[in-house]
Amino acid sequence: MKQTTLLVTVAALVAGACDFNITDPNNPTKIGPNPSRAAVQSAVAGILLAARSDAADWNLDAGILGREAYRFDGSDPRFTDELLAGPLDPGGGAFGGDHWSEHYAAILTTNDLLNVIGTATALTAAEQNATRGFGETLQAYSFLMVLMAHTDKPAHNGDSIPVDVNQPVTAPPAPLVRNDSAYAFVSALLDTANNHLTAGGAAFPFSLPSGFSGFDTPTSFRRFNRALKARVEVYRGSLGCGNPCYTAALTALGGSFVDTAGTATLNNGVFFNYSTNPGDAVNPLFQNPQTGENYVHPSIGANVESKPVSGVDDRYTAKVVSRPSNTTDGLTSALGWIRYPAASSPIVIIRNEELILLRAEANNALGNPLPAANDINYIRVKSGGLAAIAGLGGQTQAQILTELLKQRVYSLLYEGHRWFDVRRTGTLNTLPIDRAGDQRFSTLPVPLAERQARGP
Amino acid sequence: MRKNLGLWLLTLCLTTASAGVAGAQQRSISGRVGNAVSDEPVAGATVAVAGSAISAVTDARGQFTLSAPAGPVNLTVHAIGFKRRTVPVTADQSTVAVRLDQDIFNLEAVVVTGQATAVEQKNLPQAVSVVTAADLQRAPTPTIESALQGKIAGALIQSNSGAPGGGAQINLRGVSTINGGVDPVIVVDGLVISNAAIASNMNAITAAAAGGNASNQDNPVNRIADLNPADIERVEVLKGASAAAIYGGAASNGVVIISTRRGTAGAPRFHLTQRFGQFRVSNFMRSRVFTDSADAATFTSDSLAGVYCNLAGNRCPNYDNIGQLWNEHQLSTETDASITGGTDQTRYFISGLMKRDGGIAPHTGYDKQAIRANLDQVLGARWSLAINTQVIHSLSARGISNNDNAGTSPYLVFPLTPSFVDLRPVNGIYPTNPFERSNPLQTYAFLENNEDVWRALGAGTLRWEAINEARQNLRFVVTGGLDYFNQQNDIYSPPELQFEPQDGLPGTVVLGKTSNLNLNLLVNAVHTYIPASGGIQATTAAGLQYVDRDLNFTNVLGRNLPPGQRNVDQATSININQTLQPQKDLGIFAQEEVLAMDQRLLLTFGIRADRSSRNGDPSKYYMYPKAAVSYRFTDLGGNSGDEVKLRAALGQTGNQPLFGNKFTPNGTGTIGGIFGSLAGGVAGDPGIKPERQTEIEGGFDAAVLRGRLTANVTVFNKTITDLLLVQTLAPSTGRAQRVFNGGKLRNRGVEVGLGYALAQTPEVSWIVRSTFFANRSKVLDLPVPAFQVGGFGTSLGAFEIRKGHSVTQIVGRPIDASGNPSVVGDANPDFQISFSSDLSYRRWNVGMLWDWKKGGDVINLTEFLFDAFGNSVDNAAGNQRQAAFGNPLNPQTKVYVQDGSYLKLRELAVSYRLPQAATSQLFGSKVTGASITLSGRNLIRITNFRGMDPEVSNFGNQAVARNIDVAPFPPSRSFFLSVDLDF
Repeated sequence: MKQTTLLVTVAALVAGACDFNITDPNNPTKIGPNPSRAAVQSAVAGILLAARSDAADWNLDAGILGREAYRFDGSDPRFTDELLAGPLDPGGGAFGGDHWSEHYAAILTTNDLLNVIGTATALTAAEQNATRGFGETLQAYSFLMVLMAHTDKPAHNGDSIPVDVNQPVTAPPAPLVRNDSAYAFVSALLDTANNHLTAGGAAFPFSLPSGFSGFDTPTSFRRFNRALKARVEVYRGSLGCGNPCYTAALTALGGSFVDTAGTATLNNGVFFNYSTNPGDAVNPLFQNPQTGENYVHPSIGANVESKPVSGVDDRYTAKVVSRPSNTTDGLTSALGWIRYPAASSPIVIIRNEELILLRAEANNALGNPLPAANDINYIRVKSGGLAAIAGLGGQTQAQILTELLKQRVYSLLYEGHRWFDVRRTGTLNTLPIDRAGDQRFSTLPVPLAERQARGP
Repeated sequence: MRKNLGLWLLTLCLTTASAGVAGAQQRSISGRVGNAVSDEPVAGATVAVAGSAISAVTDARGQFTLSAPAGPVNLTVHAIGFKRRTVPVTADQSTVAVRLDQDIFNLEAVVVTGQATAVEQKNLPQAVSVVTAADLQRAPTPTIESALQGKIAGALIQSNSGAPGGGAQINLRGVSTINGGVDPVIVVDGLVISNAAIASNMNAITAAAAGGNASNQDNPVNRIADLNPADIERVEVLKGASAAAIYGGAASNGVVIISTRRGTAGAPRFHLTQRFGQFRVSNFMRSRVFTDSADAATFTSDSLAGVYCNLAGNRCPNYDNIGQLWNEHQLSTETDASITGGTDQTRYFISGLMKRDGGIAPHTGYDKQAIRANLDQVLGARWSLAINTQVIHSLSARGISNNDNAGTSPYLVFPLTPSFVDLRPVNGIYPTNPFERSNPLQTYAFLENNEDVWRALGAGTLRWEAINEARQNLRFVVTGGLDYFNQQNDIYSPPELQFEPQDGLPGTVVLGKTSNLNLNLLVNAVHTYIPASGGIQATTAAGLQYVDRDLNFTNVLGRNLPPGQRNVDQATSININQTLQPQKDLGIFAQEEVLAMDQRLLLTFGIRADRSSRNGDPSKYYMYPKAAVSYRFTDLGGNSGDEVKLRAALGQTGNQPLFGNKFTPNGTGTIGGIFGSLAGGVAGDPGIKPERQTEIEGGFDAAVLRGRLTANVTVFNKTITDLLLVQTLAPSTGRAQRVFNGGKLRNRGVEVGLGYALAQTPEVSWIVRSTFFANRSKVLDLPVPAFQVGGFGTSLGAFEIRKGHSVTQIVGRPIDASGNPSVVGDANPDFQISFSSDLSYRRWNVGMLWDWKKGGDVINLTEFLFDAFGNSVDNAAGNQRQAAFGNPLNPQTKVYVQDGSYLKLRELAVSYRLPQAATSQLFGSKVTGASITLSGRNLIRITNFRGMDPEVSNFGNQAVARNIDVAPFPPSRSFFLSVDLDF
């Protein structure tokens, strides 16, 4: 009897304390099944945060590899030795082995959303499709960024990146696929996204940051999707696919926001925002142009064209200023960056100026020199304040391409393009060499951890 | 309704009990119990009539009176620290004198074998170390861990730094985990208490770790430091799984069971200890002395050398800036007071402590106040209640030390600061240090780093003898209690400090608030059965243990303060960090102990089942079995008391996953003002389970020469499987790492304990003791590539886990052709030996304890820093070390991985017990005893280690990577003069 009383009391105490399930009290977990609209909104912003995390690093590293920039960093000499002289260390996550994991984290964040969006009862079918279209487009952007860093044109048929990565963390690593397959995968993913956006109704079930203004409904967002599609197809074209891809690029551009009308704004496009708000990041490329560690490569100043009356290319004067000369590790520059003049300066994802040049590149490759020349001259005049080149349309395809690539350098300076442009167009040897022993790298190595995870 | 029933039951019990006692009273026996050697009275001895429940307790004069049945009886007399004695009393005898032999080596002390069971040491089948109050209080100690140093075979107890207020690691039987928790379970009076180490976030100043949040390089104190050593009656240490299995899923690092002092019946007895003393630096590193400007020009520019070295002949001045910093020796005081007394129904023990340990640097020190009340109340023949309560307040000021990336920690400033610059203040103004970002003298004068802790421990234990018969006994023991502490960290670095403006945000204030609540419920049922045939005794115990923990850490960091303002609100840049760690654990256990063959054979087996909210599956029970056997060969060579016991034990314990191992947290941020949640870098394992330790130990305990010589020898072999490991993932998974269970490591070793009573006469007692411990570990299986678990990279020496190698190996350069670093050391000691001697001659007592650690390498990065900047006190040798370290063809990390052997005189005490006449004359007739003691701790320190101290750990308590000396707070020695009074 007494035992019973005691046991009952004890059992009651223990039973009362018996729910041992605790959820993580310190951090959110990934989006779960049947997500609310707020959960979808957090996941969407999370995708943008993840995709943004590599943007500035890429523009700087690709700028150094593509001889647009130097970084003289007292505490890290790898910006001046590893990135210019090599060897690129696949085990060093910040340099040779970089521009991989951040985008795959973005791809995982996207998959976490795509895997559950079909169960979201708080969203209509159209809203689910719109969300899919958004996620797939951003996922394609991240795959494309990894490809830009890891495409070695001479070995284009070799292994490149894994694409079948929507797997449990305990599964064996996804296989590396051939480069051309990876590009085809990205192209198809953008088409899938486009179809979902087409079925996505009038509005997204979430808000987007101001960097997406003008592209913040499923319909207008499709123009961004098609712009990325055009970029992928031009890249594929230059990497060996040729005319079919260039044709597809022109088709895609037709659905994009490319614009050379009188009212056109070259800076119209899609951007990653930065700010000093709590939880947000500032643009790391914003520095005091006179004292910051980042410098402009002297060849950018040496090769700049003069305007017809006086002064040089407006694009140059808008992005580059003089600063006290500095020599570090045998490298010298007296030019500083004003490309990102504020802590909140956005970084470009894609914008009209690039689309016009993509259109010129596709037309030139397809044997349409006149429209290509028109677009190139349009950029020279409109963006650089330079004189149009008379008779450009009558030059050879190769000559037009050379002029086009030069305009891409100044139009897209410090936006992460030049290094890949010279690699994919077979003009890597046009990059200047500053010191004996410096190298022109044709790709970043696949990270060591990626190789090791697949065994010896 | 239930209340009424309970009351009724209680009344019934009381009635029955008093009736039973009344019926047995026939005659009165009184007597005195004294020490067999000195005939001093033995207070608190229990005198019981064998075969009955009648008992009495002796008073301060050793006297007792009890009522016994008519006819001849046997009285069993026992007291803590003495051997049990049975005395026959004839039917017509009414007084009796009993003299008890001292149980020098605690052979008859009962030692825990379960949550509520214990057996006498002589039957114990495992090697459980017991440290009693007398051993703990030989010399005063700031915190309990240092009082245990050198007293437990199998334990390596090392102070993480010399800063006042504790911070030490207790490691039992070598490495038990790689990534898991390292703390033993600490049990105080049945209560599992927190030994959390909460970082202060000094990292906000030092930038020792990236990210700006609190870091394990902040020199934190683990909270066992709060306990008052003077309150402790005994400490039992379960070192491995074979003994600790009954504590189950969290006990892989062993269990430290602390019992506080309890009241003894009698008139109130007071004890007062007053101490005065001092702490002084025992070792610190100095810098290079420059002869003249030419010598100085090898350190700095020619022009600066000329400016500073302007004495005659261009000689350089030499300012002892470093010695100046560690030159504090304030008065340290300690007052311990206790009262004990009561009746055979109610006993109490009340104690109070006030102490202040002065630091060796300005504005450092440790203050502690504690008050305890322990109460035992008999609620009838079958019910009793014990209440333990304690409130503790401590305030430690620990200065700034350890690794640093901002030029603030003294030993990262001194290597760059030549001795020819004078850092002393002029008219209260500290000069700017032109060679580094701070002036340590200024930093210590104005930087505040205070840790203020309030802690309350409260526990109640209710015992109920449900059945108390000649052949069987059933009792229930229920303990419930709480352990709550609130730790406040205040760091204030005023904007005027030299280093403050460098981040553009002058002035830093850190406010840390951490609270932790442990709620405990422990229920035990113990049944003892002695069959009529006799010969055996079977004890069955079963029960459950529930522990609920709730840790809430909040840290507010403010930068950019207006002058004179230290409210975080006034800072223009504010960072807030909060971490919550709720946890619930439930264990269910059962065990059987059979004592047979005239108490010569003991067989034990038991099992514990544990579930924990830290496990992936919080409802799954993990089983931890144990089994043990011991056999005594008694009366060897016909000598009573001489015996050898052979023993063997086997058991399993677990080590819980770390908090959060089961979770896969997402990162967060905002973009364009929108909150986002993105995939994080580490994947948790939703199926994560505890590490499992399987230990087998065996050995023998011998007592020979009529019990004057004892020897204990134990060998153990423990293997740990399901280690918590971290796998590097293919980054295309979107993550960097994954936590999982796997791998296997082994640790085997030998422990020896020796004790010898060299003399045992009324005039002289001389007891010497020694312990020996050696162990070796090996990684048996590792399903991931070799990886580093600590250090500052391969070139500076790093701890590397590699299959087939010692767990504690240190690797470094040169790197071989296949890319593997070379093994340059091992943190594991070759062996440890301790030696203690307690000699009393008439009124004099001399006690000492030596602690010798042989081997065990330490990465000495403080010397590396002095060498690297050309500022070592032995500059020529330093240049040679740098040349060897940086040799491009054959770089030698080994020059900074140094032998950490030491021999320390941990304790030395000389005391004199005043004659009664002198006592009365000095203190009045009410004072019954007085003694004066001179004592010291860490007085002698012999080591070839060239850093600050071979015990230090830059990263605090660590499973593997602890022996790293980076700019620690220097060690100190202490001296005390104490007066003890009894009245």
